[in-house]
Amino acid sequence: MRLIRAEFENFRLLRQLCLDFAINSEQKLTVIRAENESGKTTILNALQWALYGDDALPDKGRDYRLHPIDWDVSEGNRVPISVQVDFEVTGLRRSTKGLIENKRQYRIIRSTYETLDGVKWERSPSTIKLFHITDTGSSPIDPPEAVIHEELPPELREVFFTDGDRALSFIESTVSVSTKRDRVQKAIRSLLGLGVIEDALKHVKKTASEVNKAAKEIGANEKLTKIATKLEQLDAGWTELEEKIEDAKEQFSAFDEKLADIQKQIDNALIKGDREKLKKDIEHTNNQIKQIDAQLKAASKEHSELFKSLSLARDLLEPVLEKGLSELTKLHNQGKIPNTTIPVLEERLNSTVCICGESLDPDDDEAMRRREYIQNLIDESRKADALQSTITDLYYGSRSLQADQIPDDERWIRLYAKIVERRDDLGIVREDLAKKLKSLESQLDEIPDTDIQGLRDTKKRYQAQRDRFHANLTQYQTKFEVVKQERENLVAKRDNLLREQKKGERILAELEVTQDIEHVLRNSYERITSEELSKVSVLMNDIFLEMIGADPEQGAIIQKAEINQNFDIVVYGPNDRTLNPDRDLNGASRRALTLSFILALTKVSEVEAPNVIDTPLGMMSGFVKTSVLKTAIRESSQLILFLTRSEITDCEEILDVEAGRVITLTNPAHYPQMLANDPGVGLRTVIRCECNHRQECRSCQRLVDSVAQMNMAL
Amino acid sequence: MTQRYHNPFAGVDLVVPIEQRDAYNRYCQSGGRAVIDHSPFPRMVDFWFTAMCIAARKQLKSEDLSNRETFKFNEGSIFDRDSWRVQAIMLVAIAVTGSVEIVGAPRRMVSIANGLAAAGEPYLLEMLEDDDQEAIWNLSDAIETLLRDHHSNI
Repeated sequence: MRLIRAEFENFRLLRQLCLDFAINSEQKLTVIRAENESGKTTILNALQWALYGDDALPDKGRDYRLHPIDWDVSEGNRVPISVQVDFEVTGLRRSTKGLIENKRQYRIIRSTYETLDGVKWERSPSTIKLFHITDTGSSPIDPPEAVIHEELPPELREVFFTDGDRALSFIESTVSVSTKRDRVQKAIRSLLGLGVIEDALKHVKKTASEVNKAAKEIGANEKLTKIATKLEQLDAGWTELEEKIEDAKEQFSAFDEKLADIQKQIDNALIKGDREKLKKDIEHTNNQIKQIDAQLKAASKEHSELFKSLSLARDLLEPVLEKGLSELTKLHNQGKIPNTTIPVLEERLNSTVCICGESLDPDDDEAMRRREYIQNLIDESRKADALQSTITDLYYGSRSLQADQIPDDERWIRLYAKIVERRDDLGIVREDLAKKLKSLESQLDEIPDTDIQGLRDTKKRYQAQRDRFHANLTQYQTKFEVVKQERENLVAKRDNLLREQKKGERILAELEVTQDIEHVLRNSYERITSEELSKVSVLMNDIFLEMIGADPEQGAIIQKAEINQNFDIVVYGPNDRTLNPDRDLNGASRRALTLSFILALTKVSEVEAPNVIDTPLGMMSGFVKTSVLKTAIRESSQLILFLTRSEITDCEEILDVEAGRVITLTNPAHYPQMLANDPGVGLRTVIRCECNHRQECRSCQRLVDSVAQMNMAL
Repeated sequence: MTQRYHNPFAGVDLVVPIEQRDAYNRYCQSGGRAVIDHSPFPRMVDFWFTAMCIAARKQLKSEDLSNRETFKFNEGSIFDRDSWRVQAIMLVAIAVTGSVEIVGAPRRMVSIANGLAAAGEPYLLEMLEDDDQEAIWNLSDAIETLLRDHHSNI
């Protein structure tokens, strides 16, 4: 099967989108270049919905809206939603002229309506139509599921439509060993077509029960009748137990996966940031900003104080003051300004020590002589007129205005430089804090209003339910073993009694035939599983080792990968030591291992089917990245990859050669933070352009990462 | 600083030409302007004093305001707390007149200071406005340039 074309209408972001895929066997790779939130996962879901219905949607479509979230109800509250997929199936027919290739083209259309009522919506059951397309027109096929299930078995949906992250659940420890094992086992058995043998086994069992019924009806021996009746009851219980075991397994796996999903939701919410912690950080940053603002205000005020300062007056007036002071100095030199002032002299007289250090003690004669001299000076000063007094005061009082008396660091220029430095430093801190605040607020906006505690509570409930189903499973399996043992004993007894009866010989022969057939079928089943499992395992190992190749980080550590008889995917290091894929493998190797398993499974099954893979090269770089891409192209019959620009980096030359089709999808809502130009589209939608992996046009041109990151932070 | 000196300007009016009143209001916080960076002077007397200093430094002629319409923005008593301003005005007056006797004529000294402030105001306005920054930065940079012309070693 190969996908040719898909059209989407009003499927979430995909309001009106058409994709055509490469079907040339020489260039079988289609690249859909799209950044995050540009519809990649939505396309993956939409394609699966078209083929498999609501069961293929997340959580089986429950609470999963299909219509565009910003649907304008003025256009009607009943939203038509449809996905159309054209595909081609190649069959081989034996003829006398050998094998003849027979290509048939189909078109499947799944459509539904969602009716909007305020924030509520309701989805009508979807309708599906399948047409056989020929040169002359199209003819409907009923039921459509028969063709789909034949070409793309639902059990293998996740093998053909792979979400790079989700596919890791084949190996990740987020789900239990039994769930992983079950998934691998189911994938392998479905792809190998073992369902036919399973059906045959059930049929043989049913036949054996009917033969046993015939033994009961012989009625020749009461003991035989009793045993046959008991066996009949056991067989009825047997089927019931098998169903219960299967159901418990499924339920266990379902809750196991739910548990893994919810754990991922919790992890994602916590990775994006703890809402409460972010709120506290924002509050703290706001307080820091307030403090810095107060300091800025104080610095600004201090700056302003410079314009009323002595230093400004002194430095501005320096040449003028020099002139005025020189006039005073002249007077002083002429003796017109006394050398001292009355208050200073009076202060000395109140002391016993002169300013020169000599004694002024009234009891000392020499000191008394000094005191008299000082008193004379005071008297002389008092005699000076008012003008002289003013000039004297000015001469002695204006020392603070004399520039030569002032240290450099009290000059206005120095004081101003200090203020500038302080204001600049504070301004930088303020700017950084503002950026930090915006970044925190933007992080907070990005966090969905996740109730982490609520999720944890749900996780606990899921855990309890999963454990209950596990307990049920163990209980049923134990019971089954008991029934099996009892049945074997009863069968032996019944067969002995039948041998004693003449009429029993034929029945016994029939029973032996059913038992033999069952034996053969079971052995075939086990053998095919084992042999094919081994083939898948070997091929997976080859692909995986080729993919990680000479990766210096992992090459020396990883020796081998295999799927063991328990359907566990195991990785071995040196000396056959097992490696934990979660802990011992890096992200690139984990993805490579998962892709290897999917590609090997598809290859061994010889089913020609597309591999549609979302983000296959995430977390990869260098050799592993190009190697994974090359190997995936080689091993697929049709490969459709959803790649981001960073995944494409370093793979351009491979895509130049291998890509038969490259389409670019853009989400206009990324303008202006990530897109360079305004796409002029007001709705939430995805737009397509024909740019290949090396081109950019007005509608898809993106800002360089650093600018986009800064925009996001702001 | 303790006021050891008698303030001879206590009862003398500080005035500016009426046409300069707007500039005083615009660039002084006491004129009701709350944004410091746009109105760098804390009080009108600071604007007045700076204008006087600039005029004195530039050796501008003190304008005669006796026949001009003026507005009184304060009295000399405002110098009670800043005795150095009293001394500066006196020294400027001595420098302008070349006579120390001027210190005995407080009104004359204030008249010289008022005239110098009026003469310096256009230069001060130019300093406040002659750049595309906020007034406080324009003025600071202009003063720095003015001072560096004299103190190139600083």
